[in-house]
Amino acid sequence: MSTPAAASARPPGFSGSPVRWLLGKIGGGMFVLWAVATAIFFGIRMIPGDPAEAIMGGPGSQASAQALAAARAQYGLDQPLYRQYFGQLWHLATGDLGTSYSLKTPVAQVLGELIPPTLTLAVLALLVAWAMALLLAVLSTRSGALGSALGSGLEIVSAAVPHFWLASVLIMVFSTMLGWLPPVSTNTPAGLVLPVITLALPLAGFLGQVMRDTLMEAQRSAFALSARARGESEVGVLLRHSLRHAALPAIALSGWAIGSLLSGAVVVESIFARPGLGRALLTAVTSRDIPMVTGVALISAAAYVVIMALSELAERLADPRIGAS
Amino acid sequence: MSIPGPILPTAGSPLAVQKPHARRRDPSVARWLAARLPLIVSAVVLLFFALAAIAPFLLAPVDPLAINPAQAFSAPGAGHLLGTDESGRDIYSRIIHGARPSLLIGAAATAVGLGLALVLGTIAGFGGRWLDFGVGRVLEVLFALPGLLLALVFIALAGPGVSTTVIAVGLTTAPGYARMIRAQIIALRTSPMVEAATVLGRSRTRILTIHILPNALAPLAVLATLGLGQAILWAASLSFLGLGAPPPAPEWGTMLSSGRTYLSLAWWMTFFPGLAIVLVAAAATVLSRSLKSADGR
Amino acid sequence: MTLARPLATKLFPAATALAAALVLAGCTPATTTSDSGSPVTGGTLVYASGDAEPSCLDPHVGGNYPQALVASQYLETLYTKDADGKLIPWLAEDSTVSEDGLTRTVKIRGGISFTDGTALDAAAVKANFEHLLNPSTASSTGYLALGKIASMNAVDATTLELKLKAPDNSLLESFSMPWVAIESPTALARSQAENCAAPVGTGPFKVESWKKQDSVKLVRNAGYVLPDPKAGHAGTAYLDAITWRFIPEAATRYAALQAGEVQIIDNAQPDAIAAAEKNTAIKHLDAPRPGASNRIELNSSKAPFNDVKVREAFIHAVNVNASIDSLFFGTATRSYSPLSSVEPLAYSEESLFGYNPAKAGELLDAAGWGQRDSAGYRVKDGTRLSLTFPVSTSQSIPAEQSLFEQMQATAKESGIEIKIKLLDLSSWYGELFTNNYNLVSAPYTKVGPGVLSILFHSDSTVPAPSGYFANLSQVKDPSLDALLNTAGSTKDEAQRKDLYGQAQKKVLEGYYLLPLYNQQNHFLYSAKLKNVGATTAVATPTFFDTWLGN
Repeated sequence: MSTPAAASARPPGFSGSPVRWLLGKIGGGMFVLWAVATAIFFGIRMIPGDPAEAIMGGPGSQASAQALAAARAQYGLDQPLYRQYFGQLWHLATGDLGTSYSLKTPVAQVLGELIPPTLTLAVLALLVAWAMALLLAVLSTRSGALGSALGSGLEIVSAAVPHFWLASVLIMVFSTMLGWLPPVSTNTPAGLVLPVITLALPLAGFLGQVMRDTLMEAQRSAFALSARARGESEVGVLLRHSLRHAALPAIALSGWAIGSLLSGAVVVESIFARPGLGRALLTAVTSRDIPMVTGVALISAAAYVVIMALSELAERLADPRIGAS
Repeated sequence: MSIPGPILPTAGSPLAVQKPHARRRDPSVARWLAARLPLIVSAVVLLFFALAAIAPFLLAPVDPLAINPAQAFSAPGAGHLLGTDESGRDIYSRIIHGARPSLLIGAAATAVGLGLALVLGTIAGFGGRWLDFGVGRVLEVLFALPGLLLALVFIALAGPGVSTTVIAVGLTTAPGYARMIRAQIIALRTSPMVEAATVLGRSRTRILTIHILPNALAPLAVLATLGLGQAILWAASLSFLGLGAPPPAPEWGTMLSSGRTYLSLAWWMTFFPGLAIVLVAAAATVLSRSLKSADGR
Repeated sequence: MTLARPLATKLFPAATALAAALVLAGCTPATTTSDSGSPVTGGTLVYASGDAEPSCLDPHVGGNYPQALVASQYLETLYTKDADGKLIPWLAEDSTVSEDGLTRTVKIRGGISFTDGTALDAAAVKANFEHLLNPSTASSTGYLALGKIASMNAVDATTLELKLKAPDNSLLESFSMPWVAIESPTALARSQAENCAAPVGTGPFKVESWKKQDSVKLVRNAGYVLPDPKAGHAGTAYLDAITWRFIPEAATRYAALQAGEVQIIDNAQPDAIAAAEKNTAIKHLDAPRPGASNRIELNSSKAPFNDVKVREAFIHAVNVNASIDSLFFGTATRSYSPLSSVEPLAYSEESLFGYNPAKAGELLDAAGWGQRDSAGYRVKDGTRLSLTFPVSTSQSIPAEQSLFEQMQATAKESGIEIKIKLLDLSSWYGELFTNNYNLVSAPYTKVGPGVLSILFHSDSTVPAPSGYFANLSQVKDPSLDALLNTAGSTKDEAQRKDLYGQAQKKVLEGYYLLPLYNQQNHFLYSAKLKNVGATTAVATPTFFDTWLGN
């Protein structure tokens, strides 16, 4: 938030040493993880219902008092709250995510199997969204007012489409009616197309709107003007100057986008019967499986922290003036 | 799915440099209309649905809750403009009568989100370094939690229903708005106008209430209209997961979700409520962009 | 794309006649289609289930229907039901009971081994029952079923003697449920996590691997021995393997069947079944679950349903048949019995359940609810006639939820308000345990009429430590209790039938429940799959005789 004058007084790149920046990021990340773990710990315990029941297979389990007490003791649920809390923090610090109440297997193991599919889906969706947004923004700036308006309209509409509706329509059209693509998602290229498009389209609409705004501004900016005056072609101006500027807010948004992709993944994974963290999260919350909920939340938070740090890095590399704190 | 809103170039941004050349004014009315067409269409759409929310029986006299099993799954046509659902209820009527709960949920959720964001953003922007740091960390944690997780846990806590949906969606959208507001307040705080006021000896409270807040609220209108569409989409997704407004409420998200089961049988059950959602969200977005460009930022 | 509506009206009159005949005669659980052509050995069957993925593949742990569906492929039971619905010994050879009914002796078949090499003998069966009765296993259904066993003794390798606390004439029926299936004692001795991942049984298939949220891989049991040689072909299963997948979305599941990605799906929705009827490439298996019918229970423990007149009025105020017609496309037959139509002892009384708003009005007026408020609902002493109806989204299919909505709209005409609350399973149980309901629909699958005791005996209103209780209509009738007690312990088949019939009559005439239809259990499968139709006693399909054609 510094003025251009202040920025030019500092050397380009990092305001301090890279090491200091990295340490700051790690510290911040640790704080976020601790806060998330604490919030989940107390938040979930406020939900009515006995966690011991969740361990014994759900509220309809007709478990005996003896069995419930045994489950409580085994999972440490009969200890005073502060002891449970610090015990959990200690476990988390040593990398022990606990045992799932309903699956009776270590959370780390279960989630470890589920991260790759969700990650694949999210990264592919982000890349496709970027590509779509970029393409649309560039095409429409080159085709005049009408093209621009059309592109803008497309972006606005696609950002307004709910995931579950889009998924159902895509399955109906491309699988049932045309038979081109499978309705159930597998890790083959064909099996990834529909889920990725479902996640990418609304995001592309939103990213496109942002990119278009900054692209337009960049095209009219002083840099572009002077570049054109120097004799550079439109294409050159576009590629070498405007896009770099347009990319900045989109990069900044990518960090937040990954988080929103996880929320979208819940819907997409459910409809396309795809294993992943989204479905696991939904099942975990509805079956009150505290260790699983904590595990998914922490992984999501960690991913967010990492992505934010990476995107900040990318921002600084793309524009060396962004070095002030 | 929580959207932080359009990126507002801040005062020091390298791009907020040159104003474009003054446009030649074209006297043709047609050209003027064409340029404004999206805005006009959006305004009409929003007015239509606002009317539907306020006086639904004016636009759709048929009872949206009246079941008629003999006429279930009728295609759009004479009798029923947009067809009927699995209980023979008229879909056009349900969409019109559903405007009020759908828009209310969207508006209320946006209000909750903005209200919370205003408080957080003001504390952060105006309260000094440590408060800023603290709120900044809180916001970061809220961002790091997946929005759906927040909503699911909250709904599990408080039970499903309209008010729970409103608060859940408000909570998930608040962090994004808070960041915007904080940036706005900081920009205003360092502006020449506030500097002058400080030099003149005005109290901090006066500066906050008279100079900063009113100017910070202007972009809020932009955020609010944009957020409306997003809030409606959020609520629709929660209905899909079975956690939204209870039946037989003709809320658009619920209609979309229950119509999905019969997609191959009766496409109109999902198409038209979906269309309504997209229209409102898109119109709100166009409106917000027009407000933003009118605002000059 | 509108469906031809006459389909439903054409089927309905025929369906009622059929239902009546079935009820009186005791119908077969499912029809076995014996396809022509010689069986082909080989191929992998892909089964897509719409139920939630089980958290444990061992049906001893917990005990729900999704577990039964998959476990029926690799585990077998002591008894089962044949194609005519008769209880026959399977892993057991024979069983006798003492005069006083307190000692039951079971003879175990010889020559059968589990897939890990352990032999099936009396000690193995005893180990299984001990596993079920052990609280740390956390069995619910199996635990209840074996509740009357006091002690067990393996007299010799093939004879198991059970001493009961009280006579229990539904024990053999309990033995036929997959939740009381027999697993290898060696395998049971492992940790629960290990046994949940790959239980070991005697079935025609065995568990190879389980990738969570993806699929369970079952392969042919090369050492399979058919307990009763007359029950199927000689040798091992035709299919090489079965891949058990979980696809919770109904539309995706059906799309996968149409695309040929899977060959059989369960939880087929009414509109998909109706569409499939016109498609020669897809066939339909209708296998209603045993136990209770799908019914709505009226909570008689508190106002307004503590008044039998109000209960009766409610039943006459809703038009169930019209809703079933329009929503189920002829795939569901109206039931007028507390028991499933596959139960030979089911008793039904159609005359009690007609749609009669005039009569409903009379009854409500007589019960003191003559006044109406401004919204049109009846009031008494300032209180509105309002019914809370928590509905579990995981137990009520969308068509059923719509049926409840239609009931809500029709009941309003008679001045009755119904508040439907859509909840996830945990929250739904929460409402039930805190007695926060007037209406509820809770399925109960069990083999045999013994389910009536679970649902209507006053003992069942006493909650388990978790809060769970099964008698949701909260019937507390000493004469009914006496009927159920005797019916459950008598050795006279005729007396058993008579007493259970009387008990059902009492419950129906007390208007404690509104029967809807059988617990729906529809499967759609590709026409390439031959010889589909064999089911276990709980109506889960088995694939020993099934083969994949072209």
